Amino acid sequence: MSLRYLGKKVLWAFLTLFFVLSVNFFLFRVMPGDPVALLARSQRLTPEAIEQQRALFGLDQPLFQQYLTYLGQTARFEFGSDLISGQPVWGQITARIWPTVLLVGVGTTLAVVLGVLGGIKAGWKRGSRFDRNSTYGSLVLYATPEGWLGMLLLIVFAGSLGWFPSGGYASPNAEGFERVTDIANHLVLPALTLALAYIGQFLLVMRSSLLDVKDEEYVDVARAKGLADLQVRRKHAVPNAILPTYTLTVLSFGFVLGGAIVVEAIFSWPGLGLLTYEAIEQQNYPVLQAVFLIASFSVIVANLIADITYTYLDPRIEEV
Amino acid sequence: MNRRRSVRTMVALVASGLAALVVTGAGATSAGAADGDDSDSSVLRVGVMSGIENPNIWALNSVSEWSAVTLQYDMLLKFSNDDLTAAPSLAEGCEHNDDYTEWTCTLKDGLKWSDGEPLTAEDIRFTYQLIKDKRFPYFRSYIPSGSEFAAPDDTTFVWTTPEPSTKPDIPPWIYIVPEHVWGQYADLDSKGLKAVETVPTVSSGPYQMTKAVPGQNWTFTRNPNYWGEEPAFDTIVYQQFTNVEAMVQALKNGDIDMADELEASLLPSLESEDNITVQKVTPDCWNNLAFNFGGQTADADPHPALQDLTVRKAIAMAIDKQAIVDKVYPGAGVPGETIVRPLSTYWHLDIPDDEVIPYDPEAANQMLDEAGYERNADGVRVDPKSGRPLELRMPTSNDTMGADASGKLIAGYLDQIGIKVDAQPTSAGRVYEYQQTGNFDMYIWYWCGDPDPDYQLSVFTSDQCTSPDDYGLSDGCWKDEKFDAMYLAQRNEVDQEKRRQIVLEAQQYVYDQIPAIPYVYPNSLQAYRNDLVTNLTPVPGEDGYILPNYSYEPLVTVRPADNAESSGSSSSGLPAWAWVAGGAVILLGIVLYVRRGGRTSDDEA
Repeated sequence: MSLRYLGKKVLWAFLTLFFVLSVNFFLFRVMPGDPVALLARSQRLTPEAIEQQRALFGLDQPLFQQYLTYLGQTARFEFGSDLISGQPVWGQITARIWPTVLLVGVGTTLAVVLGVLGGIKAGWKRGSRFDRNSTYGSLVLYATPEGWLGMLLLIVFAGSLGWFPSGGYASPNAEGFERVTDIANHLVLPALTLALAYIGQFLLVMRSSLLDVKDEEYVDVARAKGLADLQVRRKHAVPNAILPTYTLTVLSFGFVLGGAIVVEAIFSWPGLGLLTYEAIEQQNYPVLQAVFLIASFSVIVANLIADITYTYLDPRIEEV
Repeated sequence: MNRRRSVRTMVALVASGLAALVVTGAGATSAGAADGDDSDSSVLRVGVMSGIENPNIWALNSVSEWSAVTLQYDMLLKFSNDDLTAAPSLAEGCEHNDDYTEWTCTLKDGLKWSDGEPLTAEDIRFTYQLIKDKRFPYFRSYIPSGSEFAAPDDTTFVWTTPEPSTKPDIPPWIYIVPEHVWGQYADLDSKGLKAVETVPTVSSGPYQMTKAVPGQNWTFTRNPNYWGEEPAFDTIVYQQFTNVEAMVQALKNGDIDMADELEASLLPSLESEDNITVQKVTPDCWNNLAFNFGGQTADADPHPALQDLTVRKAIAMAIDKQAIVDKVYPGAGVPGETIVRPLSTYWHLDIPDDEVIPYDPEAANQMLDEAGYERNADGVRVDPKSGRPLELRMPTSNDTMGADASGKLIAGYLDQIGIKVDAQPTSAGRVYEYQQTGNFDMYIWYWCGDPDPDYQLSVFTSDQCTSPDDYGLSDGCWKDEKFDAMYLAQRNEVDQEKRRQIVLEAQQYVYDQIPAIPYVYPNSLQAYRNDLVTNLTPVPGEDGYILPNYSYEPLVTVRPADNAESSGSSSSGLPAWAWVAGGAVILLGIVLYVRRGGRTSDDEA
């Protein structure tokens, strides 16, 4: 891979990030309402107190001045204070990031592993019972709203059967190994919801890619050489069919830091998705800016990784 | 590049990664753990819906955070258990001078904070002065301008005001904080004070917070120096849910003992369970159909017909409040009447049945016919003065429970009397903009008042109709000199019974003039497992809150139910051995897969 190619990709990533940074700032400020003045009604703020609060958070400055301040603070990794709770935004992000990485990471991993393995089996044995069932199943799961699926799992496995907790991340007093299993118990239903919701796309993409390469001449040549069916599949078909799934996988992991708003809300999972949802409700600019920036950053980085690593998997890309 | 080897490596890495994620996640949010392990003690577990983010008393922002503060801190005088009027708390009582400009409060002897430091009148003085100086939300509104505070000795607190005032006897809803904790931060501005780490808290009430995991759970342990009756539970845990259905499932499964902020739609499911008792709290809020009279800005453009009391009364008569309650708030609300909600039992005016504005669309139609509001070809009535059809914009705020559904029903009712309504579900932020600029005809929003009616009455005064720069609170800029005079009269009246009479008259006057229609008083809903806990003391009265809102009393008297299994911190889920066994099976599978891949590779070689 040439340095020129790498440099071009990195430059585009930075430009995209700057664009996102700016959109983040202005997007939330065109939302109707004044976040501080809105408190006047619920928190009994006097006009003087409202002005005081606006000054404390810099909201009394001209918009462009606020924008410059925001760019400077972001460059120094300062995300300011929560408009509502007054706590540093970065502290809130770090408290929420692990639950989100855990949930979306586990859910996506399960979906990728099971989806890819299922897609390989279905594509290689096209028309088999497994292929038909897995394809129909994938289409059903792919079309099922996450929220509905989550509620279904919650009512059955947490409600009727009582096998797993209905919400939360961990019990307050569990420590040590008990805490690990406690979190695992809380993780099962939300992670399963995500895995089931995502599995269809991986299975269908992998199956489709494998069908494309299955009839290629090099696969026929491998068979003609006398290789066993399993070897043909593993050595010649799957490596050439994996590229679209690889891209999808890398980009999916890029969305990990965006959280899973619906699933986190259903299972009271205290991650970045839930933080985003709450911040939108409260017009909490600093929190919104930070979570959107982090989510965008992770997608942009994932894109960059996909671009760069793709050239190793398929060197023809760089030539294009 | 050996892709198959890398696939095997990837599988192994994925397995390791998943395990690492769980272990890391376990460690990541256990920071700030409690000093003690409560596994052997009695734990009361409470499910809450609104956010538990910042335990700092100056950063209150949700019902649950308010509840947590109420559980820990005392007021100078507290709300009585019966009707929320003033009752002894830290102070035995307060005496006023002849002209009500000086109040002297005498504290109980021997009061202590949870850390053993003495609680004195100086703590009271410090708290009131801090709130006055920093203009803290909520609390500041209870301190009249020009108030001065003094603590001449450990048990005497003196409050002077330039004008006669009964504020100290309302009582002021101000929680007392320890000077020896907050004094060191007194130089910070309000933003800085909100960011101070306060856990474990130093409190005077029955519990102190010993652990706070934002957005997940807050843990309270019994305050050993609490001055009142010792509560039965060693520990109370507030666990946050963001899905009310999940919270109800947790209550049914016994993962929690009590639940707050329930929704009416879940009532049938809850009431069908023998071991769950639902508390329908006397309404503490009211949903408001407010009319706009204009005057907020030069661009304010309310429909001119709304100035006509006949039109407003016809609208009131065309709305079937009982049907709205039955359809939108089934079993969890009553038709609204006056602007002071029923929970303020002492101040609330019950309109006698024979004086209630009736649901009578026929009479409403007749009134409009007689007033000259003829229907046009589309069946919509036309304002005879302006010539404009009665087509009204009605945003419904998304932070008001049932507002959208109510809005649709109201639009249907008004259609029957020839008034066309465009009911639009709208964000609270946008409704606030409408309220400030006056670019609307009616809107649906809610009000929650104080036990004392002063604040609720104040938002209907002409003074609250301001330009957006002054953040007025008036819903639709209704200006009425007679009401303004009533408001001032009650505010200046120092005799409580006389003041009550004025407040009742003011409510009747608003009811008759109809600047707004309180169309429903929704009940707050709380529930508990009656086979796990008992002896809750609702406040106020038997239909009051069973979780701290105005008072911590319910959670002081609550006891484990007879024959109840010991409450604990465990929740549903697979036991540890099942996870170990499951993990071993998965690892074994991965090992077999990798070994099988290795053999295949060797065969090919």
